[in-house]
Amino acid sequence: MPGPVREVRLWDPLLRGFHWLLAFFVTAGWCLGQFGPAKMTLHFWCGYVVAGLLLFRLLWGFVGPAPARFSHFIRGPGAIAGYMRGMFLREPSHWPGHNPLGALSVIAMLAVLAAQVSSGLISDPDDYINVGPLASSVSSATRAKAVGWHGLGANLILLLVVLHIGVILFYRFWKREDLVRPMLTGVKQVRDRES
Amino acid sequence: MRLILAAALATMPLAAIAQDDDPIHQAIEARHGFYQMLAINMGMLAGMAKGDVAYDEAAASRAAANIEALTHYDLPSLFIEGSAHGQAEDSAAKPDIWNNLDEFRAKFAGLQEAATGASEAVKGGAANVGPVVQKLGGACKACHDNFREKS
Repeated sequence: MPGPVREVRLWDPLLRGFHWLLAFFVTAGWCLGQFGPAKMTLHFWCGYVVAGLLLFRLLWGFVGPAPARFSHFIRGPGAIAGYMRGMFLREPSHWPGHNPLGALSVIAMLAVLAAQVSSGLISDPDDYINVGPLASSVSSATRAKAVGWHGLGANLILLLVVLHIGVILFYRFWKREDLVRPMLTGVKQVRDRES
Repeated sequence: MRLILAAALATMPLAAIAQDDDPIHQAIEARHGFYQMLAINMGMLAGMAKGDVAYDEAAASRAAANIEALTHYDLPSLFIEGSAHGQAEDSAAKPDIWNNLDEFRAKFAGLQEAATGASEAVKGGAANVGPVVQKLGGACKACHDNFREKS
């Protein structure tokens, strides 16, 4: 049986810092990539910052506080299906952390961003000014292909971000649960469950 | 001698002989040759700009002059119908080129403009090479972004 709703400090300050820095640098990197100057120095720096943030998140997933740990929120198909059954109820989830379905989105974003950083590092768009710093360590066919993967990655990131924002709006207006404030303050109303 | 020649010819696949006469294949080969020449000279300038290659004023100016000369070749004339990616082998030309020929020509004119005066601009020190490479590279990118298939 679900317990009572209570307010807890869910997201630790470093995780929140990670989230908003990632949001900023991914957005900046994406926009600079699409609309920025021909010499993409700032885009490159955004990529390096994102790489550092991803390394932090990977580490935090093992040594951080419980809600940040992969072992805490990565669940099997049973738990995901169970969560989805109650998903469209017009009531807050009060979930204490990433829910089993949202966990998939977290993993997808981290994986796509890691792939995006990797393809960027080895890309050679044949313009002599925006060559990835590791392009010379792969074959010429690979560094040419990496440009294509990097473009595909940009589309996937856009898709995931639109989904992310869409789901937040769904929680806000359909389920009447604000997920943005907890990511700002760290405080969230949760209900403990036995599972 | 003749026997050797005949034997050599006999081992050549017929398709390859036919391909050599194919104007589309020839145009694509010529394009690749053009880009290869650009690449050799761009590579030298980019190397000097980054400090990977020691700056040599005469060599830099020669490379830049080569690029200037190359941009006076009418490259778009090599983009003949039927030579797009997906239509012909080994082509990275996006089919969009043929729907936007004016824009495609404008991109090439952009490279020509970027190359104008480059052989003088790179003289006087390694520090002068960087801005030229950036201008030229920007012109490369402008066209690649829209018209080059990302394999």
